[in-house]
Amino acid sequence: MSKPTVGIFGLTGCAGDQLVILNCEDRLLDLVSLIDVRDFLMASSENDAACALDVAIVEGAVLSNRDVERLREIRKRAKTLVALGTCAVWGGVAAMDRGADRRELVREVYGETGLAYDSLPARALHEIVKVDLNLTGCPIEKDHFLAAIANLLNGNAPVYPEYPVCTECRMFENNCLLIERGEVCCGPVTAAGCKARCPELRVACVGCRGPAGDANPSSWLAALAEKGIDRHAIAARLRTFAPEGVVQ
Amino acid sequence: MRTVVVEHLARVEGHGGITVELEGDTVANVRFGVFEGARLLEPLVRGKRYDEVAPVVSRICSICSAAHSLTSLKATEKALEVQVSRQTELLRELLYLGESIESHALHLFLLAVPDYLNYPSAIALAADKPDAVLLGLRLKQLGNSIQETIGGRAIHPVNVVPGGFGRVPAADRLIELHGGLLQGIQDSDAVIDLMASLPEADFCHGDTVYAALVSPNPDSYYAGDEVAVVSNGDRSIVPAAAYKSLTNEASVPHSHAKHSSFRQKPFMVGSLARLTVNPQRLTGRLAVARERLKLELPSGNPMDNNKAQAVELIGDLDRALAIIEQLLRDGIEDERPAAVHPHAGTGTAITEAPRGLLIHSYSYDADGRIASADVITPTALNAASMELHFRRAVEQSAQREEAAISKRLEMIARAYDPCISCSVHLVRRR
Repeated sequence: MSKPTVGIFGLTGCAGDQLVILNCEDRLLDLVSLIDVRDFLMASSENDAACALDVAIVEGAVLSNRDVERLREIRKRAKTLVALGTCAVWGGVAAMDRGADRRELVREVYGETGLAYDSLPARALHEIVKVDLNLTGCPIEKDHFLAAIANLLNGNAPVYPEYPVCTECRMFENNCLLIERGEVCCGPVTAAGCKARCPELRVACVGCRGPAGDANPSSWLAALAEKGIDRHAIAARLRTFAPEGVVQ
Repeated sequence: MRTVVVEHLARVEGHGGITVELEGDTVANVRFGVFEGARLLEPLVRGKRYDEVAPVVSRICSICSAAHSLTSLKATEKALEVQVSRQTELLRELLYLGESIESHALHLFLLAVPDYLNYPSAIALAADKPDAVLLGLRLKQLGNSIQETIGGRAIHPVNVVPGGFGRVPAADRLIELHGGLLQGIQDSDAVIDLMASLPEADFCHGDTVYAALVSPNPDSYYAGDEVAVVSNGDRSIVPAAAYKSLTNEASVPHSHAKHSSFRQKPFMVGSLARLTVNPQRLTGRLAVARERLKLELPSGNPMDNNKAQAVELIGDLDRALAIIEQLLRDGIEDERPAAVHPHAGTGTAITEAPRGLLIHSYSYDADGRIASADVITPTALNAASMELHFRRAVEQSAQREEAAISKRLEMIARAYDPCISCSVHLVRRR
């Protein structure tokens, strides 16, 4: 059987999810022996920019007309499109200010020169094209990426936890930062899979993986209200990585 | 009119391209275009509480995420007058070194070396020279293991907070890193052997201005509060608080990265600039490495940044080992972060990210929320200097075919180790 053709792309973002792929140091050469990487600009200067792809892996958010065109082009070439990382899945940090006047922001940062720039409000991939698989995280977890490739190679759809970070954190028997220290920990409503990285280190979860499918936000909000934490402060914190997940 | 275009730079982080216009053999115009989307992160930082800032600005860039986090914390701690412990300073420097080892190994072996050996990628290179690629991957992994242990994650560290660390790493984790570093140090000769075996690349020679932090401790380039600009034997000093006289930023129509110049001259930042400004670091193993690589300082060849990174890689391994030994000798204390008492204040921090000077400058209001922020990244500082060297390369190669010229342009761009998502400005113009 011929190896599946794969393209790895970055729209606007920090390239951290592509870097996670390159960070699979001891698996990297095995990985590229199982798949046929045809288009990966961050790693190669010889790419086939037009071939059909079995799998297209796309990181970053859509922030310009150029991003929109590239994404549509990638979608046309790909049988399966994977959104890689929180920016691709949810819009990420750049989407935090979606309500703001974009022209005003551009003027603030770049002055009048900036008004000619190709600049759009940040959007997640699924707002432009159909996405077949979401792999969230800021950045993604290495194991999740390798599991996704292994599953796709075997014709399976990978399954990721629906439960929140809070569940993982409790399994480690950590002291609760919210209940005991009154911190705005987003663990109860944030998608698990990071092995509760932050609360394991006594740092409150900032919600970088986006909303959990199976969470109980109302009891979380009630617990925060009991600590006297302002609802707007909570909304602002949640919007940092995943504006869509916030119900005002 | 003839045009040489590198449409979309490969093997760099982010999205950028080069356009050179020639009239006959004379270069009329050079543009390094950054078309990475503008994320305009500034409005996000404004109004954020002091403990919410670093996790946002870290996302400017993945490869320099530790540098962004630590520079952000340093600016915040200056503004809010927070004193951190000596242990915190050492652990932060260790995290910085982990990032530098990872970044230099990634850049040299996976991005830059394939050019010299005529391969399109490290993956292709690995088919013929697996040892070279495996060497790079081993060192890169070592740098990442330092970042994971100290920062809690290899990209976008989570364990660094205002005043210190969420949880101080335990001694046994440092002992593991110590073992890894001893092995990494054994790879040093192989690094220099490989770099010394590469053909010389010298096609944009000329006077170059360098800017780097002056390190008060010869072993370390994490600390420091003054920048030196070295130009033709002249040395000017700029204190951190006066950084705007160094950068003189201007927006340009063709790029989302603002351009900088010092006394009307573009300048280069990064490893080569650091060694030029701090030659006293070049003793022992570093002096031997420099000699074997025939690295002359100051250099008129920006391609020498690759050699300088190799020299620094060795220095980073030695320094990381020394820090761990000191921490273990002094005994690791599971201390909590220093307390922060929010008040109005301003702080500017300048550090050396793997690819050069990084500046974060913040003003806080009385509640400890960001009133204004300014972030200037190494790739933005380098943009004007890159254009200067592209121009020189084309002038010095005008007789050649376009493909040969554009390959040279790409090699120069990669030697600068650009981080294009970093270069996109995110902060308010004042």
